[in-house]
Amino acid sequence: MLVIDSLLRHQFYEPGRTAFSENGREVSYRSLFEHAERIRNVLLHHGVRPGDRVALLLARGIDAACCIYGTLFAGACYVPLDVQNPALRLSFIIGDVQPRCMIGHGERPQWCSSAVEWIDINDPEFFEDEPEGDVDVIYRPGPEELAAILYTSGSTGNPKGVAISCRAIDAFVVWSSTTFGITDTDRIAALAPFHFDLSLFDLFTSVHCAAHTCFVPQSLTLSPAKLVAWLEEMAVTSWYTVPAMLAFLAMRGRLGPDRLPRMKRILFAGEVFPLPGLMKLADALPDVELYNLFGPTESNVCTYWPVMRHRLADLETIPIGGAACNAELMINDDGELLVSGPCLMSGYWQNGDVRAVDFPWYHTGDRVSYNELGELLYLGRMDRMIKSSGYRIEPAEIEVVINRFEQVQCSVVIGESDPISGQRLVAVVVGQGVELDGLRIYLKQNLATYMQPYRFVQLDALPLLSNGKVDHRAVAGMIQERHVE
Amino acid sequence: MNDELKIFIFQELVHIPDAELFSGDGDLLEAGLDSMGIMRLVLFIEEKFGVTLPDEEIEPDNIQTLNRISSWIERHR
Repeated sequence: MLVIDSLLRHQFYEPGRTAFSENGREVSYRSLFEHAERIRNVLLHHGVRPGDRVALLLARGIDAACCIYGTLFAGACYVPLDVQNPALRLSFIIGDVQPRCMIGHGERPQWCSSAVEWIDINDPEFFEDEPEGDVDVIYRPGPEELAAILYTSGSTGNPKGVAISCRAIDAFVVWSSTTFGITDTDRIAALAPFHFDLSLFDLFTSVHCAAHTCFVPQSLTLSPAKLVAWLEEMAVTSWYTVPAMLAFLAMRGRLGPDRLPRMKRILFAGEVFPLPGLMKLADALPDVELYNLFGPTESNVCTYWPVMRHRLADLETIPIGGAACNAELMINDDGELLVSGPCLMSGYWQNGDVRAVDFPWYHTGDRVSYNELGELLYLGRMDRMIKSSGYRIEPAEIEVVINRFEQVQCSVVIGESDPISGQRLVAVVVGQGVELDGLRIYLKQNLATYMQPYRFVQLDALPLLSNGKVDHRAVAGMIQERHVE
Repeated sequence: MNDELKIFIFQELVHIPDAELFSGDGDLLEAGLDSMGIMRLVLFIEEKFGVTLPDEEIEPDNIQTLNRISSWIERHR
C-alpha cells in the first residue's frame, strides 16, 4: 500500500515532522510509526491476522488515527464505528462485520459480543512494550486486500458495509494529492468522522504527502466565529468538509477577504451545495480555490468540478463536473450514472465476506446529464435515498424501525427540501391511535440523531400506485399541505 | 420561556417529545443539538423575536440549556 510505504519513508527521513495535532498534542511521523507499531503488536498478541477486521469505537482524533495505521500494519482492515450510534445499530454492525478485536475506551460495552476481543486503549498493560522500530515486520498488503469497511445506510433496513481495498485508497491518494497539489508544507483541518469517506483525505492523502493534519476540536463545530479563528491560528491551508458546515461559516462565521490568509483550497462533498450559500462563501474568500467533489462511498470521488466564481450567478445548480480518480463514466438509457475505475469499492461486506456487485460498472443510483459545456449535472436520485447534512440516509432503514412501534400499520419517510441541510426527514405514519410522543422517544433509542424525523404526519392510508406499491410522489404532495405536528 | 420556541427546540432540533422531561438546566447539546440545529435555532430566534444575535456569541455557553438561551435572548431585546 502506497500510503504505508510513504509513512515508512517519512518516519525515517523526516522523523521530527508533525503528522497529527489535536488540542495542543502533537505526534511526529516517527512517533506515529512507533504508536502504530505498538498497536500492531498488541493486535497480533490478540490473534489478529492478515485479512481480519478490527473495529474502532473511538472518536476522530490522534488515538483513532494511530489505531488505523496499527491495524493496517497488522494486515487487518479497520472498521470505524460511530460512537454516537445507538447500541442496537452498533451491535448489528459488529454481528455483520465479525471483527477479531475491538478497540475502545474503558470497559467492554454491553452490546459487544464476548466473541470479540476487547482492547482498552487506556490500559497501560497493553501498550507498555517498547517499539522495536523494525520496518521489516510491517505487513505489506497487496492491492486487492481490504483496508477499510465503512458502514452506510442500507435500503434493506440495515446498515451495509462498503469494503474498500488498498488499491482504492491509493488511487484516491494519488489523484487527490496531485490534483490539489498537496505538499509537506500543507496543514489539513480534519473534521469528518472516520466512518465518513471524506476522512480518507485527512488520514491518507495527508500522510502520503508528509503534511500536517490538525484535528478540529469538537466544541468548535458549534461556534462558527471561533472555528474560523481556530483555522487561522492553526494556519490551515486545506480543508475537505461538507457544504452544511461551510454554509454555517459563510453565514455566521465573520468571514471576509482578510480572513483565513493561509487557506489555499476548500473541498466539499456529501450533498449539493445550495447556490446562495456557495456564492456567499466564494465572495467571502476570493483567493481560496473551491472544489465540488462528487461520488457515493462505493466509488469514493468519481467526479469533481473546480468552482468557477464568474459562472455562479448564471447557474441553476452547481455542476459535478468531469471524471476524477481516473474513473470511467457512462450514462445509461435511464439517465443513471455508472462508474468504473480504480477507486471503486471491492463490494459490500456481508456475512463475513465481500459480495462483489455490478462490476465492472457500478450503478450509482444518481440521475445525471451533461450541460452544453460537457460538464455533468446532478439531477437527483433514481431511488429514494435522502442526503441530509452530508449524511446519506435510506428511508427504508427508518421505516423498518417505525413499523415495529405499537399500532403502526405502515410508514413512509420522505426528504423535504431544506436550505440548511439539503433535505430534512418527514415521517408519514399510518395506524389508529399511534402515540407520537412515545414514537419520538422510541426512535431516539433506536436510530442515530441524523435519522430522526423532524416532523410526523398521520394519515389514514397511504396512496397506492396501480401495481399496489406506495405512491411516494403522491405522499410527498400530501404532506406539503398537511403541516400537522 | 416562549412555548413556541420550546416546542421548536424539543421536537425539531433534539427530537424529544415532552418539554417537561427537561428542566431549564438540562443539557441540550448532550441531547443531540448539533451545529445545523444551532443554525436553525439562531435563525428561528432572530425571526420570532426580532433580535440580532451577534455571530461571535453563537457558542455552546449561550446555547447549552433552555435557561441560557433565554438569558441570551433577553440580553439582546
